[in-house]
Amino acid sequence: MNLTSLQNHIFRKIDRPLFGSLILILIIGLINLTSANQLDMTNTLSQIINIILGVTFFYSICNMQTRVILAFAPWAYLMSIVLLIFVNFFGIESHGAQRWISLGFFNIQPSEILKISLPLMLAWFYQKNAYKINYRIHFVAGLLIFLPFYLVLTQPDLGTSLLLLWGGLIIIFLAGLPTKFLITSFFGLLLFSPFLWNSLLDYQKQRILSLIDPLSDPYGSGYQSIQSIIAVGSGGIFGRGWLNGTQTSLDFLPETTTDFVFSVFSEEFGFFGVLAIIAIYIFMFYRCMWMTSKMQDNFSRLLSAGLTVSLFTGFIVNIAMISGLFPIVGVPLPFFSYGGTSMVVSLISIGMIMNLYLNKTLIAN
Amino acid sequence: MDKYYIKFILGNRLNLIMYFFLIVIFLIILRFFYIQILQNNYYATQAFDNSIKIVPIKPARGLIFDRNNIVIADNKLNYSLEIIPERNNDLSMLISRLSNVVKINSSDIKKYKRILNNNQFSNSIPIKSDLTSKELAKFVTNSYQFPKIELKENLKRYYPNGSLGVHFLGYINRISKKDLMALEKKGQKKNYIGTDHIGKAGAEFQFEKELHGVSGFEQIEVNSIGKTLRTLKTYPAKEGNNIHLTIDLKIQKIAEDAFKNKKGALVALNPANGEVLAYVSMPTYNPSLFIDGISHKNWNKLNRSEDKPMLDRAINGLYPPGSTLKPFVAIAALENKIRMPPFKIEDPGYFSINNSRRFKDWKKGGHGEVDIIKAIAVSCDTFFYGLAIELGIPKLNKSLSNFGFGKKTGIDLPNEKSGLLADAKWKKEKYNKKWYSGETAITGIGQGFTQVTPIQLALATSKIAFPNKSIVPHIRLNSQQLKQSDNLSSPIIVSNKTIAWVKEGMEKVTEDGGTAAFIGKNIKYKIAAKTGTVQVFGLKDGEVYDEEKIPEKLRDHALFIAYAPAENPKIAVAIVVENGGHGGSTAGPIARKIFDHYFTSESR
Repeated sequence: MNLTSLQNHIFRKIDRPLFGSLILILIIGLINLTSANQLDMTNTLSQIINIILGVTFFYSICNMQTRVILAFAPWAYLMSIVLLIFVNFFGIESHGAQRWISLGFFNIQPSEILKISLPLMLAWFYQKNAYKINYRIHFVAGLLIFLPFYLVLTQPDLGTSLLLLWGGLIIIFLAGLPTKFLITSFFGLLLFSPFLWNSLLDYQKQRILSLIDPLSDPYGSGYQSIQSIIAVGSGGIFGRGWLNGTQTSLDFLPETTTDFVFSVFSEEFGFFGVLAIIAIYIFMFYRCMWMTSKMQDNFSRLLSAGLTVSLFTGFIVNIAMISGLFPIVGVPLPFFSYGGTSMVVSLISIGMIMNLYLNKTLIAN
Repeated sequence: MDKYYIKFILGNRLNLIMYFFLIVIFLIILRFFYIQILQNNYYATQAFDNSIKIVPIKPARGLIFDRNNIVIADNKLNYSLEIIPERNNDLSMLISRLSNVVKINSSDIKKYKRILNNNQFSNSIPIKSDLTSKELAKFVTNSYQFPKIELKENLKRYYPNGSLGVHFLGYINRISKKDLMALEKKGQKKNYIGTDHIGKAGAEFQFEKELHGVSGFEQIEVNSIGKTLRTLKTYPAKEGNNIHLTIDLKIQKIAEDAFKNKKGALVALNPANGEVLAYVSMPTYNPSLFIDGISHKNWNKLNRSEDKPMLDRAINGLYPPGSTLKPFVAIAALENKIRMPPFKIEDPGYFSINNSRRFKDWKKGGHGEVDIIKAIAVSCDTFFYGLAIELGIPKLNKSLSNFGFGKKTGIDLPNEKSGLLADAKWKKEKYNKKWYSGETAITGIGQGFTQVTPIQLALATSKIAFPNKSIVPHIRLNSQQLKQSDNLSSPIIVSNKTIAWVKEGMEKVTEDGGTAAFIGKNIKYKIAAKTGTVQVFGLKDGEVYDEEKIPEKLRDHALFIAYAPAENPKIAVAIVVENGGHGGSTAGPIARKIFDHYFTSESR
């Protein structure tokens, strides 16, 4: 086997344009993370481990048979719901919310896992009922979304729960929910929301309120938002240069490695840097959507679209948040923010999309 | 609906979603264009020299006073030099430059590093505290050289009376990681963001929440090297409440001085309402040692000392009550209608169970004809051996428990011990051994397994003085919480006759022929009392106790309980002098000094 054929063998099942842009984003992310930590390499090294772990998952999922993924779907959903219930009772509290399960050497965040397992479940469900889709089926799908949404909301993690809701609703929308129903249900939900709010316990309401009302926490989101906008704005056209952002080095910017990692980038690489990154993300997004449109069966198209939408909604919400267009809800930037679960989940999502694209003709038969 | 319909819908809607996303991304790009290019000048200036920081304002800690408004825990203005911990801070370089201006010794640096390791918030950390006015002036003139060092004005805890009363006062120490976890559980962490210290023992711990107050914060503008430019908004802190204690510091001082270098404990109560007037545990330690974080050397010294200065003997010291238990044993008997006057025994100097084992009286040859009143006055062991055996442990313990023995008194101080009223069931569980009647006999004179704390003795004595009052010992003046915990100590139901007999016995203790007769000499008021002597060292049969020959730490503990004036009690005390020898002769005079002061100053 010569080198070219070895390459061909390894990359046979990988979509090269998508994978290439992914690698580019990951590398820029690592360089930026190093600056966010002012050359302290601890986070960078463990992020590299996260990436290696994620790429391993990514690669094995690319090579998996699609029917295995299909069969696994309901179990993945069930398992993540159990984990979610578990975390609400026994999870680790961080920043006033319970989001983590400790495995001793590694903490996992079940709400992140749902970003995969919820689209999986919905796609599986619509595939099962492909020939009898009606209001009843849409209603059950709605319940399947509502359960994890409610559990994540009460952790409380407003950002992730809304992201799950949005990703789920997009799938119902794509599955053919009639337009007139969309409008009626929107107002229905609006009417229903006070009841939902009242069903929450006092401390849960308190936690959610403190996310929305920045004044209730002087060190919290209001201050963070201002500092982030200053960081972005001071970047200018070309940025202040790698490692030279004062907002980062003087500790004005909070959470520089997670939620505000792109503020660091914007400060140091300026508007052109930002444009370049957005271009890469748009390319990845377009490529994923294009691959989705080539798929032949309901399961593939719904799953692929659901994963694409939740991944890139994360991207949009994060950059809208750090530029002050959106309240601070704590959503990480996929492939950029520091964090194991988020990185692995994002890479698995891309892996699944590639798998579905590769097997697009297999399933249809 | 068929499959193809869905596919058609999906294709259409997929495009819809894509356009939606692209429009949103376009809007976000416009936003970035706006703030990064059009508004760049504005934000660049903000980042360069004006940035907003939020600085916590710590509340002034409440002061602690005694009942006469004498300050026990004060705050003192103090200047310190502080460093804001930052990444890439070259500490040794900074310190060596600073040393040219203000002397920094190695213990200051050690302290700084210790606090840095424990630092939870990014507050500045003192490198040098307690600046003298000379050092202050020198630093101020050179301050331009040290942009990263801040001169801070702090209110520092100050204990003006040194070690006096340290066991009820307690101390504060820097907040540790453990404290912080506890605060987080209580939801108090945010309130402590600007605070460095927290109460660790005694009143400082007990009343922490009130003493601490509520943190404030201010938004300030700082320039790019961290210097404050101006304050934007201030939310002032709410300072902690001042706390008044029931302690009378003058009595406290007299009591502690009276102990000289002896170990032991003393509790003086107002028997009518449970206010603690003096609260002594000897030896003491200096609470000021803890304020800046105690050094390892001092900490080890305090912890490893054989004298255990950190032990609060008043509520944590467990002692056999010895003969001070006799008045309470007498009440148990009288309430069960045995040994009621005019019942008398003829004391041969010993008591024997079934003519086999002899229990000796402390007085060779005995006390002659003894009734229950005389038995208390002369502390006749023989009388109480027989009494205890006839009464039995269950009835005795039940009565003692009414006086608060064997359970916590509920005093408003942390970690009180409950003492022990032993019985057959307890012995079975603890040692898996049978209870012998001989053990019942010695329990009657307070020498068995029974263990009491000085605060329990003081409370029980108060209850003899005022059997109809329900009191809980407390150190907080006009305490609000107390009213709810009243049931901790309900009034004793004892007949007037019983109380009268026992009081008569206790009054005779300080009269001629009593075990503490000399305490009652040259005195204008009457003291009712009971002495006690507890063996630390078991004498073998036939061996004679000779105080001079026994090493001090094996000498008997001296105990003393008393209230005065006997007719209208104003103060009740319980005293334990460890290895003090006979109860009347070492512990008694301490009580007399307190009474003398109390009644002469009151008449003034």
